[in-house]
Amino acid sequence: MSELKTEVLIIGGGVLGTAVARELSRYKVDATLIEKEVDFGWGSTKANMCIVCQGADHQEFSKEYHPSPLVWQSMPLMEPMCQELEAPFNRVGELALFFNNSGKEKYEKMMARAESRGITTHQLLDRDSLRRLEPNITREATGALYDPGIAVTDPVRLTIALAENARQNGVNVITGTEVQDIKASAGGFEVKTSQGNISCEFVVNAAGMAVDKVAALVNADDFVVFPIRGYVAILDKKVSDLVSHEVHASPEAPGESNIITPTVYGNLFIGTPMKLARRGDDATNREMAEVALRNARRLIPDISEKDIINSFAGFLMFRNWELGWHECIVNTSSTVPRFVNVSIGFPGVSAAPATAREVVKLLSREGLKLRENPGFNPYRKAITDFTNLTDEEKRKLIASDSRYGHVVCRCETVTEGEIVEAIKQGAATLDGVKFRTRAGMGRCQSGFCSSRVTGILARELGIPEEEITKKGGESRQLLYKSKELIGGRE
Amino acid sequence: MKLQDVDVAVIGGGPAGIAAAIKARETGAQNVVILERAEKMGGLLYQCIHNGFGLFYFNEDLTGPEYAHRFVEKAMDTGVKGLPETMVTGISPERQITAVSKGEGYLSFRPASIVLAMGCREKSRGALGIPGTRPAGIFTAGTAQRFVNVEGFIPGKRIVILGSGDIGMIMARRLTLEGAEVAAVVEMLPYIGGLIRNEVQCLHDFDIPLLLEHTITRIHGEQRIEAVTVARVDDSKRPIAGTERRIECDTLLLSAGLIPENELSLMAGVELDAATGGPTVDETRQTSISGIFAGGNVVHVHDLVDNVSWESELAGESAARSAMGGKGAQGKIKLKAGRNIRYIVPQTISGQNKVTLYMRVNDMEEGVRLKIGNIMSKGLRVVKPSEMLKVELAPEQLEKLKEGTSEIIVDCERRERK
Repeated sequence: MSELKTEVLIIGGGVLGTAVARELSRYKVDATLIEKEVDFGWGSTKANMCIVCQGADHQEFSKEYHPSPLVWQSMPLMEPMCQELEAPFNRVGELALFFNNSGKEKYEKMMARAESRGITTHQLLDRDSLRRLEPNITREATGALYDPGIAVTDPVRLTIALAENARQNGVNVITGTEVQDIKASAGGFEVKTSQGNISCEFVVNAAGMAVDKVAALVNADDFVVFPIRGYVAILDKKVSDLVSHEVHASPEAPGESNIITPTVYGNLFIGTPMKLARRGDDATNREMAEVALRNARRLIPDISEKDIINSFAGFLMFRNWELGWHECIVNTSSTVPRFVNVSIGFPGVSAAPATAREVVKLLSREGLKLRENPGFNPYRKAITDFTNLTDEEKRKLIASDSRYGHVVCRCETVTEGEIVEAIKQGAATLDGVKFRTRAGMGRCQSGFCSSRVTGILARELGIPEEEITKKGGESRQLLYKSKELIGGRE
Repeated sequence: MKLQDVDVAVIGGGPAGIAAAIKARETGAQNVVILERAEKMGGLLYQCIHNGFGLFYFNEDLTGPEYAHRFVEKAMDTGVKGLPETMVTGISPERQITAVSKGEGYLSFRPASIVLAMGCREKSRGALGIPGTRPAGIFTAGTAQRFVNVEGFIPGKRIVILGSGDIGMIMARRLTLEGAEVAAVVEMLPYIGGLIRNEVQCLHDFDIPLLLEHTITRIHGEQRIEAVTVARVDDSKRPIAGTERRIECDTLLLSAGLIPENELSLMAGVELDAATGGPTVDETRQTSISGIFAGGNVVHVHDLVDNVSWESELAGESAARSAMGGKGAQGKIKLKAGRNIRYIVPQTISGQNKVTLYMRVNDMEEGVRLKIGNIMSKGLRVVKPSEMLKVELAPEQLEKLKEGTSEIIVDCERRERK
């Protein structure tokens, strides 16, 4: 790509950018999505608790912005969307624990707020009913607010699915392309990228962690966001029975939260309070790990440090606690027409479906012509999930292609057949394969399979093994060939 | 051989599994099959191209592949059937095995007895909880060993190794010989985690810096690792503020512990010992489930493959006897870990037969006396967690056991100074 013309340019291949791309592909619009990483969903989308929340029970602090309804409007859209795209979705339900009467009263108010917004499924549970649902929960909890609607998904797989479906329906989706400059012109925008120039009429800025920086390139940064960082530890699947609902305790101070949630794959996540952090500093530290474990044990005392198989730090771009937990930015820049900024703090993934619709509405208001795309196909096929096939299906599949009988990742039972499918789907790195298939996500964290996956990637992509990277760029795994450092030849 | 007729199924074709299978055949089991997930039998020995194997079992100094080869040959000669590229996906308490295989397709069968021989895995960066960023260039020592010795790649040229386990020290030497520079081996404890002979032959002989009582407090680098911060630790293993320093590197290897791989054991309902991380076994290596036996690193992590072979032969022999209708060990006397003893394998004995006990201590101590209840006592100059203690109890010692004994306490006592 050296010069490219497009009607709508979407900046950012996270869950919001790809959801907007797919939503736009319902119409005859010439749209292009660019993502700076070599794959989709590797920014804020990747690093969170994977929860689909609804937010209808939360207080809205601000009246001038009304993006919060996008969260609860998304709830009914999320499950059908995941079904169409064959993305994981599991309605686990949520238990918000209280430990005394004042906690209970707070949750009664939340329940009333949810009801006023049309969500009537919340229930207050007493200690006994709570223990029947979750026998391993702390005995200190005197009850809980139960919200059966809360679900979990896999945000990266969902984002990959959205990008693929958008591409199938005509959106030009490009990875490895970073925005360097934007100039507003009479007819629209001239966007300079690492791969060439793009001229477009409309911009959707869904640049995630860089949303303010991208907006500032063209003086469309009429908002303030700051990065906050949280820490998540992943527990071994063998303790997945400890809890089956998302469980949290009410934060005692802004930014503090204790949370444990099941994932769609059976591992539990434990998370720490989110704190203001330097942008891009996604390093974990010892304190985060200790706090996460201590907080998690306040909810489920049986959780052990030994069960942690990995951890990561996740970021959000956040506006202001005083504006509300679910405050986000989905609006046309007040200073630059045809430039839409999209940034969603806490609810992130949860708000994606309604946000995408809202963005399309905003674009239309700015003059984008929306004519229906009669060829739009909402369905997208996921790659094979060998583990969840029936015995008979497994037998047939291996008989037709023996690569499905070759288990490469033993912790997660991922077969060579699935890895080859993932590479055909666009995975070109170890992390790309990992996020699509889970190869390397298990308890040994790729110790056994990384050499095998490297070999399969090299074979399928037709490149030498030493060129295979963990996540693109300079992240090569194997820097030298045998004897290269001592000047010899193999 | 039809899988429906299998007498003994061995899960895992490493040194433990092969030794168990051979012995099962020699004991008289007709149909013995090994299910191995890798491309060939021999397990990780094939990437251990250094010597030091078989000093006790063969009275010879062999390399890993040589040691493995002898067992693989013998397995073929004794008529053991090996199924490579076959991954066991489930074992039920009733011994129903399900597996998927590149060559054989989807398998489901119920052998008369099972030997668990899945070995162990290395602790990952995630399990160790090393803080910092998440760049490329971090490998467990065993993964790096495979890349170097089997695949023909060198991960990087300036290496830091966390932990002083045997594979880590072996890789320090191996990478030095390949022209890389090992900047440091960082060990949290005041002594090394592996064998003394590896400290001498792999670190001292190559002038590789060993930082005892240190740990890594941070990993640096966005795409490829660029450096680590190391710090001294206090007595409770916490980093001491102010002692941090940065060591530049392009590769970090981890050799800080091994975990027995018992996910299949758990599926089968086998009881595990929290101290070993492996199944609790009796002196025949039968687990808590009748007809399921275990041997090698899946039971507890060994220092020497020679002991893995011996222990697994015992498991194979018992599995064959069980398959042929024999009775297992009668009576259970519990061996209980006392002062400075971390674990004892087997966890129970019958008290009737000669038995070898394998033990590890919690802490390094000099001038100690190992006491097995009141039936045996032995002075030892020094004990270390990294070096397994091995004690044989002869029938005449076991005769000292009082009638009705249900528990024997094993202590590692401090010797009175004379």
